[in-house]
Amino acid sequence: MKKQGGVGAAAVAAAGMVKAELEDVGKAAGGAGAAVVALSPLSETLWREKAAAEFLGDVSARLAWRDLTVTVVLGGGGGGGGETTQDVLQGLTGHAEPGTITALMGPSGSGKSTLLDALAGRLAANAFLDGTVLLNGRKANLSFGAAAYVTQDDNLIGTLTVRETISYSARLRLPDKMPMEEKRALVEGTIVEMGLQDCADTVVGNWHLRGISGGEKRRVSIALEILMRPRLLFLDEPTSGLDSASAFFVTQTLRGLARDGRTVIASIHQPSSEVFELFDRLYLLSGGKTVYFGLASEACQFFAEAGFPCPPLRNPSDHFLRCINADFDKVKATLKGSMKRRFERSDDPLDRIMTSEAIRRLITYYKNSQYYFSAQQKVNEMARVKGTVLDAGGSQASFWMQAFTLTKRSFINMSRDFGYYWLRLIIYIVVTVCIGTIYLNVGTGYSSILARGACASFVFGFVTFMSIGGFPSFVEDMKVFQRERLNGHYGVLAFVISNTISAMPFLILITFISGTMCYFMVHLHPGFTHYLFFVLCLYASVTVVESLMMAIASVIPNFLMGIIIGAGIQRKISFGNGQGIFMLVSGYFRLPHDIPKPFWRYPMSYISFHYWALQGQYQNDLKGLVFDNQDDELPKIPGEYILENVFQIDVSRSKWLDLAVLFSMIFIYRLLFFAMIKVSEDVTPWVRGYVARRRVQAQQGKGTTRRRGRGAELAAARSPSLRAYVVDADDDLPPA
Amino acid sequence: MEKKEGRKIVESLGCLAGERDEEEEEIEIEQHKGDGTDLGGEEVEMEYGGGREGGGMNGNGNGGGGSAWAGALSPAARYAESGGASLTWENLTAVLPGAGGRATKKLVQGLYGYAVPGRVVAIMGPSGSGKSTLLDALSGRLARNVLLTGKVLLNGKKRRLDYGVVAYVTQENVLLGTLTVRETVTYSALLRLPSTMSKAEVRRVVDDTLDEMGLRECADRNIGNWHLRGISGGEKKRLSIALEILTRPRLLFLDEPTSGLDSAAAFSVIETLRQLAVDGGRTIVSSVHQPSSEVFALFDDLCLLSSGECVYFGDAKLAPQFFAETGFPCPSRRNPSDHFLRCVNADFDDVAAAMKGSMKLRAEADFDPLLKYSTSEIRERLVDKYRISEYAMMVRNTIHEISKIEGVIEEVVMGSQASWCKQLTTLTRRSFTNMSRDFGYYWLRIVIYVLMAVCLGTIYYDVGTSYAAIQARASCGGFVSGFMTFMSIGGFPSFIEEMKMFTLERQNGHYGVAAYIISNFLSSMPFLLAVSWASASITYWMVKFRPGFSYFAFFALNLYGGVSVIESLMMIISALVPNFLMGLILGAGVIGIMMLTSGFFRLLPELPKIFWRYPVSYIVYGSWGLKGAYKNDLIGLEFEPMMPGQPKLTGEYIITKMMGLSLNHSKWLDLSMIFVLLFAYRLIFFLVLKAKEAAAPYIRVAYTRFTIKRLERRASFRKTLAMSSMSKRHNQPHPMAVQEGLNSPLPY
Repeated sequence: MKKQGGVGAAAVAAAGMVKAELEDVGKAAGGAGAAVVALSPLSETLWREKAAAEFLGDVSARLAWRDLTVTVVLGGGGGGGGETTQDVLQGLTGHAEPGTITALMGPSGSGKSTLLDALAGRLAANAFLDGTVLLNGRKANLSFGAAAYVTQDDNLIGTLTVRETISYSARLRLPDKMPMEEKRALVEGTIVEMGLQDCADTVVGNWHLRGISGGEKRRVSIALEILMRPRLLFLDEPTSGLDSASAFFVTQTLRGLARDGRTVIASIHQPSSEVFELFDRLYLLSGGKTVYFGLASEACQFFAEAGFPCPPLRNPSDHFLRCINADFDKVKATLKGSMKRRFERSDDPLDRIMTSEAIRRLITYYKNSQYYFSAQQKVNEMARVKGTVLDAGGSQASFWMQAFTLTKRSFINMSRDFGYYWLRLIIYIVVTVCIGTIYLNVGTGYSSILARGACASFVFGFVTFMSIGGFPSFVEDMKVFQRERLNGHYGVLAFVISNTISAMPFLILITFISGTMCYFMVHLHPGFTHYLFFVLCLYASVTVVESLMMAIASVIPNFLMGIIIGAGIQRKISFGNGQGIFMLVSGYFRLPHDIPKPFWRYPMSYISFHYWALQGQYQNDLKGLVFDNQDDELPKIPGEYILENVFQIDVSRSKWLDLAVLFSMIFIYRLLFFAMIKVSEDVTPWVRGYVARRRVQAQQGKGTTRRRGRGAELAAARSPSLRAYVVDADDDLPPA
Repeated sequence: MEKKEGRKIVESLGCLAGERDEEEEEIEIEQHKGDGTDLGGEEVEMEYGGGREGGGMNGNGNGGGGSAWAGALSPAARYAESGGASLTWENLTAVLPGAGGRATKKLVQGLYGYAVPGRVVAIMGPSGSGKSTLLDALSGRLARNVLLTGKVLLNGKKRRLDYGVVAYVTQENVLLGTLTVRETVTYSALLRLPSTMSKAEVRRVVDDTLDEMGLRECADRNIGNWHLRGISGGEKKRLSIALEILTRPRLLFLDEPTSGLDSAAAFSVIETLRQLAVDGGRTIVSSVHQPSSEVFALFDDLCLLSSGECVYFGDAKLAPQFFAETGFPCPSRRNPSDHFLRCVNADFDDVAAAMKGSMKLRAEADFDPLLKYSTSEIRERLVDKYRISEYAMMVRNTIHEISKIEGVIEEVVMGSQASWCKQLTTLTRRSFTNMSRDFGYYWLRIVIYVLMAVCLGTIYYDVGTSYAAIQARASCGGFVSGFMTFMSIGGFPSFIEEMKMFTLERQNGHYGVAAYIISNFLSSMPFLLAVSWASASITYWMVKFRPGFSYFAFFALNLYGGVSVIESLMMIISALVPNFLMGLILGAGVIGIMMLTSGFFRLLPELPKIFWRYPVSYIVYGSWGLKGAYKNDLIGLEFEPMMPGQPKLTGEYIITKMMGLSLNHSKWLDLSMIFVLLFAYRLIFFLVLKAKEAAAPYIRVAYTRFTIKRLERRASFRKTLAMSSMSKRHNQPHPMAVQEGLNSPLPY
């Protein structure tokens, strides 16, 4: 906080506010669990801005859900009859109050993530929701802003420091009107709140850069989501993949967030003893049914009453999962088959009965227990009280602010990521030196005619091919984009524009350096405009390849993914393949007039950027030069003659026109990229939802009892989900 | 290799972070020059000290409460009596000597302990506490630059534990995803069991092993890889263990077998281990990270480490008692192992410090009694208490008793016992099965090649003998030899997977380099032949190259030669660079240069003489392939002249005058040159693998130094280390696609 001192009065005030907030809540958080909701002054400004200066009373989020059932439609492999529906969740009732942290627990495949998604309104298109989810007593469409959702994997830009990551995110989303100092204070406050002071200036780290630890990454992800001060926070397995100390720290931080009056709901997988002790409420699921919902501290008692007391020296959560994890049945069966000598494990009641039996008993017991009735009662109570409508919307920054910030961020990322452009610069220089020495001083001899043609074709064909080197970095970028897009941080257009602009300087640098080297080593047609044309043409070609690659990257997964999972490699191959074919029709390997008319000449050669680049470059290079003939006696050959007769090029068309076509291709491919994202974002989920709905209807026709009308309606309005539901009973892999 | 090394450094650094200054002491390394058994190896600086001059505490122990166990054998020693392999270690200290003026780092320090048949020993501790160092020290896998002092006795005798004598299950499962469980075990058995064993015997061994590991039910399921769904993580781990126990070792080491598994799977793995111990009378030592309550309850002995020092060694059931006596009783609703780790994990200090800075002072701060003390204080108290406790004395007595028991251990032959031919056939069969099942290895490429061939065929359809056809034929040949072979880089990911497998198995001495290379060549041949035959026939008949079967055969063989040369080149590259992206770029670059010098983009006589002409154009397959292709296609044909009326152009004239090639040798010589190159490339591949093996230790040492230097330059490395558990062991192994950032960027 001290480093803010010199910035200015406003900063001091803002910083003070953060501090005041911290202290304020510190005082207020006396009774744990009770709804102590002092909204921080800082977040109040944000909220008031939104609600037109009207003072909001209680802006805490009380979430209640009743009889929640989620049905997933599983496509049965293309054919007509194979699809099935499966109830992933069955009649769940529960609630979450401000100031508390609720843990959704259960063995893998029990539906805890589905419940989290259902509550957050992020179900996949093939899942249908039945039942009510009430936010502050109102049927809520949980929009972004009011609720934040932290996904399991941390998609962060690896080259930025923690502070940069958070402050760029703040600039992307906070309103433009908010003064810079205030934003900075907010960022600093968030860093302090998440305990990230020590690593604030360390880079996050990526595949070749070692950065902060997994626990810190997770906390950065959470920090990004709490920037907008949401009242409701959903987390998908925040501790997975972390060691005990980091997990403890993350959960402790979450508890701190909850105590500030937020409602925190997290799904969790195998917490350690310390972590488990930090939860207020526990929602235990098995096979989509409630095993227990109530205070975490009373769960042991419940299990004891049901006849499964937790043995001493055992982590209660381990015990619960042991009781309700049907996989143990399988393990035991497997072991029994192979065991030669029986272990005499005596006192454990679970060794005597099957786990499935234990689950059944627990579920029945819960249905008749006081825990169930008190939960029902509480939900009814919460349903009656109509509270504030929480709606903050997504980003509050203007389009230009978003585009500007994104460009800047993207530029910094590109300049720091070695693999993005620097590696390619090196590769280009190496390749250019090779080309340059091979065609050194090509001259105007008879044989140089073909050499010049080959040189140009190699430069535009092969050199541009090396663009694939930037692919992994680009994919990383896309992942970050996807996360931020899902959370409504900015629009697709802003992303496409920023990506185009920020890449430009690097591409210009790369092409000018390698183009200049190539031009002067080979001694192509002298003259500044000829030089300029060559370099510009190279730049345009590289950019076209880049844009093409992006468009492919964004489209292939959606259409081919079903067939080939884990692509990337495939994508590269198909890309290389496409390039190869483009080269084939470019007019070098086969002369333009000889290319078969039907498909290859029209339209393929016109779509191929190689064609335009070569047409332009041949003109640029040969026009105006005079070449030796085969024998010295024969007259010299003018370049125009060669162009027309050897390369079969239309000399009447200006070379600048070819260049213009290239540039318009850049534009078209970018537009295609934009359209592809839009399609994959809007159309594909809609189509999937539609197909799934049709299937459900078909099922109903066959005599299933449930009605699904409303659920189907909701599906259309739903935000996209990252998860694809594949329900598989014998999956004992942890969600990695 | 490097990964392992990095981990070790990290552990050493972690140790450094927790080290107290007053404990800096000189480490005495006893030189046992006249020792009969070759302990030292070539440069291995592992010397097992003989005496017990470890410190006063030793005598202290014997004089004091030792009488309580003086009469009968201790329970653990009774296990040892039953025969099998009993391992004891005394005053074990491992140091990483500081090179270039830096202080030496203690990885582990003054450890005592034992492992007896029928019991499972768990080595536990927070990240960086030295548990992998201890495991590596016991199994004889320590890095060469680590100094080890103390005594490690197997059945009371000093002996060098090396690969093959003991089984060591690494943390990462390296398995071929397309094989079934039974196939994996069978192939491994065939590779390593003596060739004299009959088929039925091998099958029995395999079946027994599958039964023993509880893999019977999934025996015929695929293991699964990046595009195939297969068996679960727990089953994979059990399969890895099954491969190691095939040769019936008495002693089994496991490195964090439960990491990345959920509780049921972890339970099944450890339960199986227990059975191996109890039923098979094996001695099992396993490091373990954060076990769940059920898993922890399965361990017999516990070795708890913190910053390289022993916090507790003894019966796992008695550990809570020890903690209670020291003043840190385990709360009843807690997993004891969580509690132990909580007590000794210095990271919690940092968490507490960071929270104090950021969190509000909460009224509920006292919910954890342990927060009253800092973890380092707790740790110190525990270590001091343990040293003078009855538990420590008991351990020393037991060690003493065990070392007196005369155990016989049968000699285990190192590495493989199968004959070279057996290895070769097994490897070839395995590799062939893998290739035929992996869609991405060859099938995808066959599809792409056929597509490319169709494209090429339609573009050059019925090329004819006009004047323009001369250039068309030439560029078609150039495209075939250039771009068609280019597509070989598509198999790169599969190559890398295979190299991983090879490295691991080679380390364990399952087979030799030559056997691997020849088997790889043999198994890939049918596929490459299919690829080249399919695409050659499509292109040949569509373009209507020179008719005649021998011409077609030449065309196809030429393509096959080119594709397999590129394949060999790619194998060399994948051996040199383990990273997928680097390999792809390097491969593309090299192939690009090859294309440039092959005589198509620039005619051979015009290539600059220095470097490009001699030697590059001669060691590149492209120039030979192109020469052969031109000769095959053009000689004997006649083309229309440029101007009508002039005499027809013969193929010979075109080759000599327009292509600048000589007709001194036949096309078959060109073809044979390609096969010579193929052989040479395979030889280079062999040499590269051999050189890599020879250089590996030096690289490792250099890498260690480099890493330490780099880490030290980072201002906050202590802090970050403590917080982050940078040890690579705790990162969950990701599938390759995720590692390389190649999975799909958009939802699907």
